[in-house]
Amino acid sequence: MTDPLLLESAERIFRDYADKALWDAAEQGTFARDLWQALVDNGFTAMALPDSGFALGDLYAVLKVAGQYAAPLPLAEALLAARWLGDAETMTSIGLALPEAPETASAVPWGRVAEQVLVLPQAEPFADPQRLADLSERSTLRVLSTDPAAAASGSNLAGEPRDQVSGTLAGSVEVAQPVLLLALARAVQMAGCLNQVLQLAIDYAGERAQFGRAIAKFQAVQHMLAAAAAEVAAAQRASDSAVAALGSERFGADLAAAKARVGEAAGVVAEIAHQVHGAMGFTHEHQLHHFTRRLWAWRDEYGNEAEWQRLLGAEVSALGADNAWGFIATPA
Amino acid sequence: MLQFDHASLPAEAETLRGEVRDFLRSEPGFLSHRNSDFSSGHVPEFSELLGARGWIGMTWPRAYGGSERSFFERYVVTEELLAAGAPVSAHWIADRQSGPLLLRFGSEEQRRTYVPRIAAGKAFFSIGMSEPNSGSDLASVRTRAELDGDGYRINGTKLWSTDAHRNHFMIALVRTEPPGDNRHAGLSQLIIDLKNDDVDVRPIRNIAGGEDFNEVVFKDTFVPRDRLVGEPGNGWAQVTSELGYERSGPERFLSAYRVFAELVRAAGPAPTTRQREVIGRLAAHFMTLRRMSISVAGMLDRGRDVVVEAALVKELGNNFEKLVPEVARLALPSATAAAFTTAYRDTQLASPSFTLRGGTREILRGVIARGLGLR
Repeated sequence: MTDPLLLESAERIFRDYADKALWDAAEQGTFARDLWQALVDNGFTAMALPDSGFALGDLYAVLKVAGQYAAPLPLAEALLAARWLGDAETMTSIGLALPEAPETASAVPWGRVAEQVLVLPQAEPFADPQRLADLSERSTLRVLSTDPAAAASGSNLAGEPRDQVSGTLAGSVEVAQPVLLLALARAVQMAGCLNQVLQLAIDYAGERAQFGRAIAKFQAVQHMLAAAAAEVAAAQRASDSAVAALGSERFGADLAAAKARVGEAAGVVAEIAHQVHGAMGFTHEHQLHHFTRRLWAWRDEYGNEAEWQRLLGAEVSALGADNAWGFIATPA
Repeated sequence: MLQFDHASLPAEAETLRGEVRDFLRSEPGFLSHRNSDFSSGHVPEFSELLGARGWIGMTWPRAYGGSERSFFERYVVTEELLAAGAPVSAHWIADRQSGPLLLRFGSEEQRRTYVPRIAAGKAFFSIGMSEPNSGSDLASVRTRAELDGDGYRINGTKLWSTDAHRNHFMIALVRTEPPGDNRHAGLSQLIIDLKNDDVDVRPIRNIAGGEDFNEVVFKDTFVPRDRLVGEPGNGWAQVTSELGYERSGPERFLSAYRVFAELVRAAGPAPTTRQREVIGRLAAHFMTLRRMSISVAGMLDRGRDVVVEAALVKELGNNFEKLVPEVARLALPSATAAAFTTAYRDTQLASPSFTLRGGTREILRGVIARGLGLR
């Protein structure tokens, strides 16, 4: 259980810095240096170090808050890389391998500002046939020293930088379950983001009046929001369960279930939130899209719903019909 | 905002899980119907076996035949029985809500009379809430009970009372005072003896061809005054307290479990990409709903009010129960294994009831909306 004071402190920082101006600037390619520095100054990067006394679960608790405020940073990659490398000083991001170019990484979050990039061995971690056990093995991640100036810029559909960067090989690091741990990061970021999207929709429905009353008073709107709340609740429970399973043999299965389930919730809740916000929420001026576009982007990163479903389904099928219940009914 | 705290099942609950599985293996004859719907198999002998093992009324005081176990232990027993497709409907309502209602609001004499028999798996109860003109609007019930000497004279009709033609008792919500400004006032609950009181129980055939629910007609039916549960006029508060228990259990997302299991069987050890995807999707939902339900069991154990959380579990769970047959059928060839077809047919035919019984989806969304501060 993460210390509530730690979370309050994280929440205060994200709330102070993350606003419309920051999201817009980040989308124009400006790194949120002040927010980053505030996190560094308050020890949120140092806590990622293996000897910091903080558990991996604490990092995910912070990432959930970051998701709630749509913090425009490569925080998940930076914290996990710091954990794996034992180095919180060098700004490090993480990317996928490019088969033909060993000293290049693709889809690197904020590759344009990273001093160093860890390269996941697989170019396509979810290519069939793939089993959860394959993704759970220890892998060797190459460490590239990168030149930010040489990054080719790209972005996901939330406008978050996902760059292709080249560099020089500076070493390697052995990591257990890197893809799973990155997927969990997106699951908890989405869970935080979903909380925010639901709250925005509830607040908006209370403020917006039509036909002489707040639209929250209309049963059709209430039912949409109730359905969204149920999805958000499921997403919280699924992602929290996967975090609780960190380090256990159940982790792979719980993570697969979480990424798939939270991804499903993301689509449903984003749709409902936009419907409730009407045309107002479709404007660039409104803040809603900074959250909903992230939901749409993050559900595709580190494995989409179908990919994780296939991995989970393969586990169940391998056990067979009469053992499927035993797989589902775990103590956690 | 929405808090479903993490809850792990304690070690004793896992020990118990092993005992339940051993028991089920030793009684294969009771598993032939293999339907995970809690209302699908009424087998008194099976309920009596469970009662003898202390698996009915598990959380109740020993003084009334209970075992003083935790809600987690009760949770494990119920989910194991449902997943195995065991016939649990005879004692289900009595165990889930009639017993707890009598323990909370009943007289000492009522507790001594009924509760130990429920826990023994020998007294089965039906719900008497809905009427021909009162469904979701429960406060509009019109069945009247008027004081007459040392008892009540009842007139009216109860509807959709599952297994009233098989069970021993019904707890009926009746009007003991004429409706006034407060429509929730003047309602009371009475225990009806379905075998001995002068009531007319008429089974109603459902779309699956089964006769599970009933119309129960009272014509000047007399019941003694000591059948009143709780205070006269307190019926509304009492029925709403039942609903928290009614809405969050594993029976709200496991009704279609057998369809899932048979899909896994039919798909076999080398499933197609699509089959893996569907199986994985459903597994992810089962795992998540189960954790939510266990979280609510934890809240019940701590004595917390769970009205909104229970509504959220039921909303998600019931929609999911309808999703299972919809996606499972499309993952298999249209002419497929008989076991899948049987499980599929049973569930598809029962599926309209999933989002009706225990409060319709629309009523639940209203409860959730109130919890969100929208009304």
